[in-house]
Amino acid sequence: MPTLSLPTYQIADPIAHGALRVTCALNSCGAGSRVTVVDIACAGDEACRLRALGLCEGTAVNVIDARDAMLLEVRGTRLALGAALTAGITVQHATRA
Amino acid sequence: MPSTSPSPAATDALRVAIIGNPNTGKTTLFNALTGLRQRVGNFAGVTVERVEGSFKGPNGRRILVLDLPGSYSLSAGSPDEQIALDVLLRRDADRWRPDVVLVVVDAVHLERNLFLASQVLELGVPVVIALNQFDVAQAEGITIDVPELIYEMGVPIVPTVAKNGEGIDPLKQALLTASVLPAPTRRFSLPEKVQAALAPVESRLIDDGFLPGAAAMEALRVLGVERTDAHLAQVPGLADAVRQATDALHVAGFRPSRLESEVRYAWIAAVVGRTVAHTKEAHASSLSDRIDRIALHRLGGPLLFLLLMAVVFQSVFTWAAPLMDGIEALIASAGSAVGTLLPEGDLRSLIVDGVFGGVGSVLVFLPQIAILFTFIGVLEHSGYMARAAFLMDRVMRSVGLHGKSFIPMLSGYACAVPGIMATRTIEDPKDRLATIMVVPLMSCSARLPVYTLLIGAFVPATALLPGLTLQGATMLGMYLLGTVAALIAAAIFKRTLLKGPVRPMILELPPYRWPSLTSLSISVFQRCQLFVQRAGTVILSLSIVLWAMATYPKTTPDPARSPEMQQEQQLEYSALGRVGHAIEPAVRPLGYDWKIGVSIAASFAAREVFVSTMGTIYGVGSEDEAALTERLRAEKDATGKPVYSSLVAVGLMVFYVFALMCMSTSAITVREAGGGAIGWKWAGIQFVYMLVLAYGAAWAVYAGGRALGFG
Repeated sequence: MPTLSLPTYQIADPIAHGALRVTCALNSCGAGSRVTVVDIACAGDEACRLRALGLCEGTAVNVIDARDAMLLEVRGTRLALGAALTAGITVQHATRA
Repeated sequence: MPSTSPSPAATDALRVAIIGNPNTGKTTLFNALTGLRQRVGNFAGVTVERVEGSFKGPNGRRILVLDLPGSYSLSAGSPDEQIALDVLLRRDADRWRPDVVLVVVDAVHLERNLFLASQVLELGVPVVIALNQFDVAQAEGITIDVPELIYEMGVPIVPTVAKNGEGIDPLKQALLTASVLPAPTRRFSLPEKVQAALAPVESRLIDDGFLPGAAAMEALRVLGVERTDAHLAQVPGLADAVRQATDALHVAGFRPSRLESEVRYAWIAAVVGRTVAHTKEAHASSLSDRIDRIALHRLGGPLLFLLLMAVVFQSVFTWAAPLMDGIEALIASAGSAVGTLLPEGDLRSLIVDGVFGGVGSVLVFLPQIAILFTFIGVLEHSGYMARAAFLMDRVMRSVGLHGKSFIPMLSGYACAVPGIMATRTIEDPKDRLATIMVVPLMSCSARLPVYTLLIGAFVPATALLPGLTLQGATMLGMYLLGTVAALIAAAIFKRTLLKGPVRPMILELPPYRWPSLTSLSISVFQRCQLFVQRAGTVILSLSIVLWAMATYPKTTPDPARSPEMQQEQQLEYSALGRVGHAIEPAVRPLGYDWKIGVSIAASFAAREVFVSTMGTIYGVGSEDEAALTERLRAEKDATGKPVYSSLVAVGLMVFYVFALMCMSTSAITVREAGGGAIGWKWAGIQFVYMLVLAYGAAWAVYAGGRALGFG
């Protein structure tokens, strides 16, 4: 039987964070999502490169296209990232109090 | 510690290094400053292309400009970035010490571009910032308070529109002004605990000769770097100091790897907040987005890409024709004019057949090369090339490379040499080497003469579709064959000799824009100049050697025979004829006679020599393509059958699709693959595998075709 792969959403304790916080891997986000980067867990060189390109923790990201590779809007520029990278980037969806 | 190279006297040339993110118009600005006064070379010890130019400043002082490779940050991830960093840190092997650093910043994407600028500000060298594409920013409703930005950054800032030459004069003045201003310093301060943790790292660097500002920049930067950069590996005690600093930062509650990006972007956000205003809706769909909806469409995107490629190859074939006829006529008339001035004999034959015939046969292809480089330039400068890389990422990943490797491969259509040099942007050494190994399989412009000759002679111009003939389709087929072979070869390399994980793609898709005519003309002109230089040196010497081998030793031909038979008798007796007969057994299984064998042997150093050798062998000036075509069609073997059946012609083209017959490519592979014994090893592997592939494929076409009843 084929394994069904579903995105995993983490829900953080709203009391500890002051608000309800839903996080997931960037590659679980569909086109049109607006998210904020929480953590970059890629190999050191790649994380360093992403940060130089403006994709660092706290950055707001718009997902323009999500296929195998993803097309993102980051600080007004368009970045194309391979699937292996987007799986290692944790993002947070809009916060609700 | 003060700067190690004091400001030069006003009469000395001022040295300016230009740096900026890719796609900021940096090269266009460099061209606007220096015009054609440019010199292309290499940095000492590495093959990173070094473009230097000069101009006269407003006070008559000479200003030397060095165009550094585009970088998103001062890091040393690729050979390109290491060079930029070495020059800016004043530690490069050429000892080129900039008096001023010009940072080119894209006004539209100020926030991202200020990251690099903020690093450069700390190096202890005077800085000028060019706020380029200022017109595009205005058109997009982005208002930048330049005076306020100057206060924030502490350096001269000049708005420019490089493609129109606007702002260039004030920029020249600013470079002179900056050279006498004190060097800028870091514009933000680090938390005290961070400062204390980094102090030992900074002092190690200062002890090793770094300027204090540069030491502070490097200390913060190395926290996020996993591998030790080449220029830091030799600093005594640095690794230990960095380890201790990292531990101390962890204890203090900081995340060292993200510290630099956090503090720099926090400062940048504050600066941008105070100086930039958006008067239009930020998320309004831009023209680039609308184009991308088609160009990156899952089905439409690949179709558009194939269509563009078809247009390129069909135009190379048809548009160049009138220009080529013109050059042909010019060379032929120059050859015969010179010929009439010389007495009948060997000298005349050398000049007319050897020099004019040999070099002329290659120069004729200049229009095709110019057209191909223009197309590739337009695709690159317009921003489409990055989209092609994005589209191809999936295909490339299936062979173990990522989308970025596609750009060098596409450049390989023009010439493998710049293609191999373009692999410098690939960070992973194995991916880079695998790409180098397969770039020469992409059909380059030097194969065009061979394809053109054989297709022109043996493929009918039957119309297939409006605007596409069988000839154009055959040409496209040869290019596709090379491309597919390159992908398969890459997959094999990545699974055997260059085994390694697939590095994920990180690629910026720049906004589409009209290519700058000046920049495009300069780059096409430089490439054509290199081609003509090559024709004047490599091809000229090979032509003379071949002419001598075809002429000597001499025999007395049988006067009873026809002139063609007499000529053939002489050729068979000559050194070239003897070489041909010696190698005939090797090429016989491919359906070739000794004359084709000679032409192949002669073109090992430069494949385009095939055409001139054919011209020499058949005694028609090969610049006269029509006459050569006629001779090839009429050529019969001993049994009276045509030597060049369509099968032989296709087999021969296939041989040239795969064979690596180019000295320049092998030389660049030696250097780019690591130089020395390692470089030679890879260049050797490249040459042998391509030759084996060429021979096997040509044999398969010939033997397979015959078995199926063709030819």
